[in-house]
Amino acid sequence: MSASAPDSVAADRVPGNKGIWVGIFCVLVEFLLLFIVYFVAKAHHPEAFLTGPDKLATVAGTTITVLLLSSGYCMVKAVDAVRRDDRRATLRWIVLAIVLGIGYPVVKYFEIRWNIANGVDDKAGIFYGVYYYLTLNHLVHVTWGILGLGWVAVRTGIGAYTAHEHGGLEAAAVYWHTTDVIWLVIFPFFYVLR
Amino acid sequence: MTMPHAERIWIALLGLTALGAWLGETGGHGWALSLTVAFLIALKGHLVIDHYMGMRDANRTIRRVLHAFVFVVPGLVLLSHGFGAAIARLTAIG
Repeated sequence: MSASAPDSVAADRVPGNKGIWVGIFCVLVEFLLLFIVYFVAKAHHPEAFLTGPDKLATVAGTTITVLLLSSGYCMVKAVDAVRRDDRRATLRWIVLAIVLGIGYPVVKYFEIRWNIANGVDDKAGIFYGVYYYLTLNHLVHVTWGILGLGWVAVRTGIGAYTAHEHGGLEAAAVYWHTTDVIWLVIFPFFYVLR
Repeated sequence: MTMPHAERIWIALLGLTALGAWLGETGGHGWALSLTVAFLIALKGHLVIDHYMGMRDANRTIRRVLHAFVFVVPGLVLLSHGFGAAIARLTAIG
């Protein structure tokens, strides 16, 4: 049975805009390559990866996960609000998403201070070298995401988005969710898996 | 009153995160841990892609690529666990 016209339109819908998806796929390829580096390093140094997570603060990784997932939830609500043409609610949810998102670099700062105080620096071994490279790289992408959310917050504030035209806001949201997806892989790699 | 959809997904993701954190704290290793971690990555990734990004009702090609990412990585987790020595041999320099 063929799909009805509205179903087929929905199936072709590109959330945000095509440009953001080019960027997202580049980011996914970049991290997939970094994950391969992780697996190769793990294959060559199984002992280092078996004991490595013991010296990291699981609470920091867990807190970052909760912050990102909660911030992502706020962006789901923001997109939902703009579709209802509720500008105030949209702005409120975006600002909350930014506040939670900024919690990530704050937690990361204290985590790195704690790491260094406990001898977990870039010379602590291969596991920690890969850990710093991957997590700091992710932090850079999260920073772009926070800046993007700031931009769409300003655009929301000046009334640039409507229920029918909010591609920019949706693009920022899907990029933000992509940083979630990548972190959901990074978190078990360094704090759980042995 | 039933809980709205987005809230249910958010709470499910937090619950799965708590499970991951607990596994991390127990310090175990082996096939059971690798299989659980692979399952958690795939499930959490699927929930974010379909319910946060709204891909369930969007472009199928983009959705497939995103799902490929969150299903390939768990596959690599299992490959790495089962064939670590072979991977080391294949990627040895010199």
